[in-house]
Amino acid sequence: MREIPDLLVIGAGLSGLMAAYEAAEAGLRVKVIAKGLGSMHWSAGTVDVLGYAAGDKAVSMPLQELEGLQAVAPHHPYVVAGAEAVTEALSRFVALAKELGLPYEGAEEPGRNLWLPSPVGAARPVYLAPQGQRYGDLALAEPIVVVGFEGLRDFYPWVIAENLRKQGHRARGTVLPFALLSERRDANTVQLAQELDELKRVVTLARALKEVVEPGERVGLPALVGLDRHGRAMEVLQEELGTRVFEIPTLPPSVPGMRLYRALRSDLEGRGVEVEIGMEAVGYEAKEENGGFRRLLWVETATSARPLKHRARAFLLATGGLLGGGFDSNHEGRVWERVFDLPLAMPQNREDWFRPKFLDPAGHPVFQGGVSVDREFRPVSPEGKRLFANLWAAGNGLRDCDGIRERSREGIAIVTGIAAARSILVALRREKHVH
Amino acid sequence: MFTESWQSVGPSLDECIKCNICTAYCPVAAVTDRFPGPKYAGPQAQRFRENGQPHAPDRSVDYCSGCRVCNEVCPTGVKIAELNARARAQMVAEQGIPLRNRLLGRNELLGKLGSLAPRLANLGLHNHVSRVMAEKVVGIAREAPLPRFSEEGTFGSWMKRTAGERLRSDRKVVYFHGCATMYYEPFVGKATVVVLEHLGYEVIVPPQNCCGLPLLSNGEFGAARRYHEGNLHKLVPYAQQGYEIVGSSTSCTLTLKEEAPELLDMFDEESEELKLAVWDVFEWLRERYRQGELPTDFKPLPMVLPYHPPCQYRAHRVGRPAAELLALIPGLDVRVSTARCCGIAGTYGYKREKYQIGMDVGAELFEFVREQGREVRMTACDSETCRWQLEHGTGLPSRHPIEVLAAAYGLYDLERREPRGV
Ligand code: SF4
Ligand code: SF4
Repeated sequence: MREIPDLLVIGAGLSGLMAAYEAAEAGLRVKVIAKGLGSMHWSAGTVDVLGYAAGDKAVSMPLQELEGLQAVAPHHPYVVAGAEAVTEALSRFVALAKELGLPYEGAEEPGRNLWLPSPVGAARPVYLAPQGQRYGDLALAEPIVVVGFEGLRDFYPWVIAENLRKQGHRARGTVLPFALLSERRDANTVQLAQELDELKRVVTLARALKEVVEPGERVGLPALVGLDRHGRAMEVLQEELGTRVFEIPTLPPSVPGMRLYRALRSDLEGRGVEVEIGMEAVGYEAKEENGGFRRLLWVETATSARPLKHRARAFLLATGGLLGGGFDSNHEGRVWERVFDLPLAMPQNREDWFRPKFLDPAGHPVFQGGVSVDREFRPVSPEGKRLFANLWAAGNGLRDCDGIRERSREGIAIVTGIAAARSILVALRREKHVH
Repeated sequence: MFTESWQSVGPSLDECIKCNICTAYCPVAAVTDRFPGPKYAGPQAQRFRENGQPHAPDRSVDYCSGCRVCNEVCPTGVKIAELNARARAQMVAEQGIPLRNRLLGRNELLGKLGSLAPRLANLGLHNHVSRVMAEKVVGIAREAPLPRFSEEGTFGSWMKRTAGERLRSDRKVVYFHGCATMYYEPFVGKATVVVLEHLGYEVIVPPQNCCGLPLLSNGEFGAARRYHEGNLHKLVPYAQQGYEIVGSSTSCTLTLKEEAPELLDMFDEESEELKLAVWDVFEWLRERYRQGELPTDFKPLPMVLPYHPPCQYRAHRVGRPAAELLALIPGLDVRVSTARCCGIAGTYGYKREKYQIGMDVGAELFEFVREQGREVRMTACDSETCRWQLEHGTGLPSRHPIEVLAAAYGLYDLERREPRGV
């Protein structure tokens, strides 16, 4: 019989893939399964670590904020991991991204957040940006020309420019013909990015840009400058124009997020990690063990007929929360974790899910609830008791964080993914030692 | 423990979060302006098709090939391909069905007719004049890789002829061969039978109907229902006696298990019994392997083999069992393609207006095969129409993985496509 994997990761978002990377690099046999493709496909492709704390207080030095976090949110994943683990995981990501040919950078002053334009021209606090977005930093003085394309559905240069002006930045919008990007009448950002993988098109685009860019301006383009040959395309544009060029994220699908996903996945597959999408985990089998623990034997995924069993020695739940699809809810007010029905730290009464104001700075309780874990990132009961001998959890399904409001989604994914993988490594090594 | 997560097709559209991941991956939207993509044609347009709306909002959904890439990548489980299939059926109900689609939907009937005089039928169909005519009159693309009728008799006639040599055993398994094996490629059935017998199983081949998939994908739901009912009648008694039913066509097994009941809303007990008895042959063989019951007396097959897991595996959601088992064969260097679709998508690429789209979609796969080097002599794929498209797009012969497995057991000649006398 074929040997079973050491680790089964459920979920192919950033936390699952980072955990898979960490474990595979340490020599574990890893398999990743996921219901569909994860949130990297619709987020901006940046690494946001902490943009807002205590309601709507803007954070400029996220790592310095961690200590304060401990007092107000003792179960926050950063607190569980510890400040040192946060810093280390982020450097680990930076090194990996460079290896993948998709370098990420922070602000010039180490530790400070960048403020980058969002798809509507709001300022977004970002800790690490892909090189292509780095020069959108609103702390830089050069005026911005936002260049869109006629008929492109997912990018509105004038809206962005106007909103930037309202915030006191010098910015203007303009458009170029769609035909520069594609012969097609209509195409989405991913298809257009693929068109810009061709050098000839990039050169043509550069020529057209020269006509509209004024001296001293930096150029903001929709994030579709190449999919697999992004680095080359950016270089050519900067060289031809002799000025800074940067990408602004578009409405989904997110090309910068997909670049990272594709690079990570192919790196994992190169390490022998199997990644299978379209596998929805719907159940599991566990046996009682001494000490009151239950040990997971396998996880079941839905197929066209009978469930398919995925055995492993260790299991990592990285399916996200309500937004990522890790939790489901019904009209009676129940919210549950979909695979193991883990207890959730979450208001049980439906009236308490939301605060009255939609954009309340304190956010909504239902988005802040989640799985409780101990220091080793193992799910625990409300009384703090470990639930399974070989289950770990990571990512934005953990309790007491609110990735979108805090602007911490990717930071949480990377930090907890790596921390959980390390804990798994220690546990598996210990077991081997015992046997 | 198995918590049921069933969502019926219609309500699944409410799960859509408009992330557009499906559109980013749809291979058809990637090559043509005629199809706006899964999100628009599926969950979005569906809003206008429901609740007694008088007309389908537009006809572009007809360009969906049914490859189900969208279903696989969707993070929230929207059954986009099924929404599209239902929308096509609604269009057929409103506007009638073209003669061509009627023909393409009737695999079983065509097979029966063709096998009466296969040589004549092949001559009549496979010549330039008749292909031009077929394109002009009924709209079947003249270049499209139509199959040839078997000139050595059907699979059924082989089973009869070799009845005396077939294994008798207490362990029995039922075989669903499908129309392509019956009339065009009996050798796939022969390879399946010799492999199953090598595992010690007696193979029962009961009378059976077309699974109905060609009708479902052309929107003829009424006729498809009659076929499915026929299969329930013929196969459920075996399921009730505890027999497992294996099929060598990934699309037939998918239809029997899930597509037919889901699209036709046939959630009766019998459909459920059939569903739970049916296995794709490699899904079943992998299970034997996991139980330690698969003989591994393989002879080396030294060659590079590009293998394309067909789209239907995506819908089966059982992983890539054929790739797993082929990897056990010594000397065989299996290169698994990650191309999204070969482009033929059942009968899609046969249609005049879709032939070129199909070839453009398949380009990714043909390119993958070329990249594997010049020593490549053949490719492999589990699905018949995909094999024909692969041959058409690469110029290389293509085999069902069961033929490769049979050859590795020394039971089958991979070049001549004939079982070896044992
Ligand atoms: S992938 Fe699914 S959720 Fe996203 S837009 Fe398509 S159907 Fe909607
Ligand atoms: S089934 Fe295939 S062709 Fe149809 S919408 Fe989905 S991905 Fe596109």
